This record gives sequence, structure tokens and C-alpha cells, in this order.
Amino acid sequence: MSCHTPRNNYKKNEYDSKDTINIALAGNPNVGKSVIFNQLTGLSQTIGNWPGKTVEKLEGHLDFLGYHFNIVDLPGIYSLSTYSLEEIVSRQYIVSKEVDLIINVIDATNLERNLFLTFQLLELKVPMILAINQMDILRKRNIELDFEGLEKAFKIPVLPVVAVHGIGVHELLEHAIDIIETNPNGEYDFPDLTSISSFGKEIESKIQKLIIEIENNHSYLLECNYPVRFLAIKMLEKDEEIIKLVKKNEKAQTLFEIRNEFASDLEEYHGEDINSIISSEIYNNITQIVEKVIKVKSKKEMMRRNFADRIDHLTTHSFWGYFILILVIFGIYAFTFTIGDFFGTIIDDAFSLWTVSIYSIYGEENILVKLFWDGGLGGLIGGVAGVLVYVIPFFLTIEILQDSGYLPRAAFLMDRIMHILGVHGKTVITMILGFGCNVPACAGCRIMETVREKKISIALTSLVPCAAVMTVVLGLVGRYLGLGWVLVLFLINFLVIFIVGRILNKTLPGTCTELIMEMHEYRKPNYKVILKQTWLRSKEFIFKAMPIIIIFGISLEIIFILNVLEPINLVLSPITVFWLGLPMITGVFLIYGIIRKELTLVLLVLFAENIGLTLGSLLTPVQMITFSLVTMLYIPCFATIIVIAKQTSWKYAIQIALLEISLALLVGGVINLSLSFLASVL
Amino acid sequence: MKTDHRNEGSKAEPVSLIKCLTECGRGEDVEVVSVNAGFNARRRLYNLGIYPGSVIQKRKDAPFRGPLQVIVKGTNIVLGRGLASKIFVKCEDSCTFN
Repeated sequence: MSCHTPRNNYKKNEYDSKDTINIALAGNPNVGKSVIFNQLTGLSQTIGNWPGKTVEKLEGHLDFLGYHFNIVDLPGIYSLSTYSLEEIVSRQYIVSKEVDLIINVIDATNLERNLFLTFQLLELKVPMILAINQMDILRKRNIELDFEGLEKAFKIPVLPVVAVHGIGVHELLEHAIDIIETNPNGEYDFPDLTSISSFGKEIESKIQKLIIEIENNHSYLLECNYPVRFLAIKMLEKDEEIIKLVKKNEKAQTLFEIRNEFASDLEEYHGEDINSIISSEIYNNITQIVEKVIKVKSKKEMMRRNFADRIDHLTTHSFWGYFILILVIFGIYAFTFTIGDFFGTIIDDAFSLWTVSIYSIYGEENILVKLFWDGGLGGLIGGVAGVLVYVIPFFLTIEILQDSGYLPRAAFLMDRIMHILGVHGKTVITMILGFGCNVPACAGCRIMETVREKKISIALTSLVPCAAVMTVVLGLVGRYLGLGWVLVLFLINFLVIFIVGRILNKTLPGTCTELIMEMHEYRKPNYKVILKQTWLRSKEFIFKAMPIIIIFGISLEIIFILNVLEPINLVLSPITVFWLGLPMITGVFLIYGIIRKELTLVLLVLFAENIGLTLGSLLTPVQMITFSLVTMLYIPCFATIIVIAKQTSWKYAIQIALLEISLALLVGGVINLSLSFLASVL
Repeated sequence: MKTDHRNEGSKAEPVSLIKCLTECGRGEDVEVVSVNAGFNARRRLYNLGIYPGSVIQKRKDAPFRGPLQVIVKGTNIVLGRGLASKIFVKCEDSCTFN
């Protein structure tokens, strides 16, 4: 665990220049936290990982009113326990001295549940502002919120925000400056928590006694920056991280004994377990506050909500729900493919025209032309025409699905079926994302709660045929053999996913955990938010993935120049020619396919053109099917492997790759042999 | 301990019955009596507002004995069926048939 120097009270970080303010955005998932983050920091964001963790860290900057703001968008969490890595990362980061101020974003339409986190954040003793988002929806529902009442209750600034329209967003920073300026030495006047989040007398007295005990005999605990009251409450709750910290010390036993005595006293008194007592006391406090500050004026808004309800009913319906789910998946494909194909063809045509003129000026055999035009720029254009044009419309559809709130419905419908494969319904979300692109989908597997489920989800998601694989299957089998065979290939692919899931479920230790997931009301997607998010994701892809693609383009060209193709093909020929029944040249194409799967087909087409044949005359139907099937299954692409390694470990990434290679060989070989046999009989 | 009450639903007595969430009717406000899940899941449910004494409402069952939608503190929470069967609630008699 990370132990820093003790944090006595709020002090401004001395290492920072005087006018830097570090802000952490905290809140439940889906409250508009990221929208506020984007409104504030615009396009100057970095996406990284928390040190040593698989949790994504979003950081952004902006200069405002003479201050430099350093804003971290914490992962969406419901509480500060140790249920997920996100929760631990968040609380450790907040108490590290890197945070000057928390902005706690709250969904106005869901005050009660959101304020639960607020109560816990208050215990961390870091200056805080409450940002109440979605005020427009609240007003439409004719509900009034008493901000003064809230400020009085929590003794911190409470501000209205409509994040999607950017209303009230910069006011948050103005208040942050206010707080920092009025407390220049960091002597921030924290509200007395015993008066706000007061637990019942019995609990409060135990907490006080634990505080005294920790301060007197267990001061080593304070080194971890958590305020002592937070430590005392978490001790009572049997919090794993704190327990671990205590256990490290030899005096631990006495503290445990006191804790256990207190806990059993309280449990006996209330007749419930201690965690339940603490949660219900916090919720009781919240209910009292909420009842005071909320005023319902009339129920005029019901019309629109009924419409959202009807869509909700339809998309979770036992028949129409599944029908819509299939439509959505095909919709992702169709949209991604049509848009991508349209622009890809235009760019490719333009580039080949351009190439002809370059060749005529500098000569085709010029080594610089080969390296930088064919290799470098060719790689870039290939990346744009082959990948980027698909990735952008894909991100767009995903953002629409995410922003509207559809994806949890799919998880709801598929939970039962996914249990057969050892995971719960949330895996369906990452699998749906996988139909577009495996890379963000595998990264999305971080939403899984346990390592076991993350591993299974990643394995299943990396087997979902992505848009690139679709281009191969449609371009080869779809074009020459018809859509019926495409469907057959799909069925085989899903059968493989099913079997892999069953095997992993049986072999990985542990059992399937149960689904606990919030399902939001549908809301109209905001096109500004969607376009911005799409652009941010695409930008991330352009600047991180494109350089790699260009480098690969150049190295590919070097391989061509050095002419090492033949030996590679020869080495691979026992697999490609004898087992899979493919032409020898495909061996090297399949290797290139690891970089980008559609390269297998692109290179095949180029090769066929080179020797003056069409694909239809180069490959037999059986070869087409085998080749497509192998491309579908044989390995996650390079970028996916890297993401898998980041999410789990290199060992697991390599295991997945090996598993999929052997699966592809097995399935490909069996299909080749049986189809060849059938063909010879018929 | 409370599982003994399961089959008493058919008796037409005007008392509240304790049964697991999977068995209670839709659209009825019920009070949570106990959550018998493992430590982690239990604490998660408490944090989300499903603790003994809180009032929740079953909204919908997923097809094929899938998960449940439950309304908790004004939000929709989806719970796996296995987990929901470990949550015991106090129902009015009327919700036995629906």
C-alpha cells in the first residue's frame, strides 16, 4: 500500500508553483463527471494508468483567472470502500497531498444515492465543492432544490450545473479559487463532521474511543494520510486495506480486539451487522437532508418519462429486447462498415493515383521511394483508409449507445446466458464493443469486478469478430460465396467463443460473481458531447496507434526489400499448405495480419493483382472459407495483445494468443479437411 | 433461517411475509429484512441502499430466470438472480399472487 508522509491538515503542495490548483473530480458513474471534465479541459487531456494499477487515469489542464488547473477525473464510484480497485485508487489519491480540492459531481435527479459518496468524501478532510448536475432535467420535472439548505447541511459550497451545455462549469473553478485564496496557508476550516454525518450515539462514542486508541497507540496508521476518523470508521467496517495496514504492525492484536469488541457490541445492540448499521445511518442522515431541500411543484414531466419508460420496456422485453439487441449489433457493423468502406475506397484510390505519378517521377525501384512512400506514407494511408475510417464511425456509434444508456439493457438481457460462460452480463457490453474494435473493447474489460471475470471477459471479447475481420470475411467469402457462408462462419466463431468460455469457466479457480449494476433511465443523446467524445477517442487512437502503424509499414517494406518472404513461407508451409490447404504465400500474409487483421485480405488482393489473377481464380471456395476462418480466430491483433497485457499481464496475453492460434489451427484444419472431403465426394 | 417462510405464501393471512426478493411481486414496496450474501457483495448492496430496513421495489424480471430490476432510492439497480435470492424482504400478503 502506498504510504506517504503524514498529512496533518490541508496544506498546499510546496513543490507546485504557487498558482497551480490540483482538483479531483469525484462522483458516481454516469453523473456527467466526464462531461464536466471535457468542458473544462477541452482537448488538453492525457489518458494514462494509475501507477501499478489497471485503472485508467484521466488528467487534464487549463489556465483560468490566473491559475493553472490540474484536473484529474477519478473513476466513477458509489462508495469509498474496497469493493473495486477504482474505489481504492480514488481514496488513496484524494488523501495524497496531490489534491487541493475535490469537486463532487452529483446527479440532481438521484440525490439520495449520490450523497452517500459525498458523506464518505467529507470524511477524507479535503476541501470540497458539490456540483449538482442535470439541473435542467430537475427543473423540467418541476422539482426545486434548496441550495442554501444544502450548503447549510454540508457546510461546503453547493453549485448548480448543466454540464452538457457548459452552464455553471467554470463557476466551480471560481469557487475553487475562492477557497484556496481565503485559506492561503492551507488552514482550511473543515466542518465538524460529528454534526453532519452524525451516527447514532452508541456508534459515535465507539468511533471516538477508536480515534483515541489509534492516536495514542497506533500512530503508525496515520502515516497513510487517511484522517483518523476515517480510519476509525473503516476499522469498524472491517475495511480490507486498513486491516492490512494494521496487521503489518506488531501492536495490531490489541486494536483488533478493541475493534471486535466494539463491533459485536454494536451488532448486538442493533441486531444487524456493522456495515449495515453504518450504511443505514448514513442513508438516514441523507433522507433527512433530502426531505428538507427538495420541493416537488407538480408532475408535469410525466409525458416524456413515459416515453423513456416505453423504450426501456421494449428494450428489456423477453422477445423484442433480443430482437433489438441483434439489430443493434448489426447496426454497429453496417454503419461502421458502410461509412468506413466509402471513405476508405476514396482515400485508397486517391493514393494509388498519386503513387503512379510519384513512380513516374522518381522511379519505382528507388529505395527511398520504397521506404518512405510505399512504407511510411503507405502505412499511414493504410492506417487511415484501412483502420481510422472504420474506427471513427465505430466510436461514434458506441458513444451514442453509451450516452443514451442502452448498453446496461443488453447486460440485463444477457446476464443469464453469460453465466453459462462464467461471467455476468456486463461482459456483453465489452463484447458488443468488440464487434467494432477489439482494442477499446478489451480495455473496457476493466469494468469487471474480479480478476477471474476480467480474464474470461478479455478472452471472449478478443474472439469477437471486429470490423477489420468483417472486411476480410465480407470481402472474401461474402463477395465470392454469398452471405449464407458468412453466417456459417459467424456461427462457428460464436461456437468457439462459447466453448472457450465454458473451458475457462471450468479451469479458472473461483466462481462466477453476481451482477450488481445500475441501470440509468434513457436520455436523449447530446450530439455535442458525443462528437467531442468521439473526437477525443479518435485523437487518442491517431496519436498512439498511427505512429506504430507507420513504423510497421516501413519495417514491412524493409522485409520486402531484403526478400525474406520465401524462407518464412517455407517454414510456415507445413501449417498453411498441408494442414490448412492454403497457397504458400498466405503464410506471410497471416503474419502481417497480426498488425492489422484486414492486411491479410489487402495483401492477398495485391498479390493476386501482381500475378494477374483475381481472388476468385487464386483461391478455391474451400480455401476462401478456411482463410477467413483462420483470420477470424487466429490471434488478437497486435494492439489488442498490448491492451490485454496492460489489463492483465503479459503472461496472460501470450496465453490468449497461443490459445487462439491453436484454436484457429484446429478449427481451420478440421473445416479444411471436412470441406475438401465433401467437395471431392460431391 | 428465514427460508422456512417460503411456502407460507399460499396461506391467506393478512400478515406480512418474509420471503426472498425473487419470489415477491412486482411493483410492490417491500422492506429489506436481511441480506445473506458474502461480505463484499453485502457491503456493496448496503452502500447502494439495500440494507435491512430500507424500502425497495421489484420492477422487472429478465427473461429465462435472469436478473432482476429493483428500484432503490429512486434508481434502477440490476441484481443477478442468485444474489437476489439471498435478499429477504417483508411483503404484504397481496403480493404473493400477481
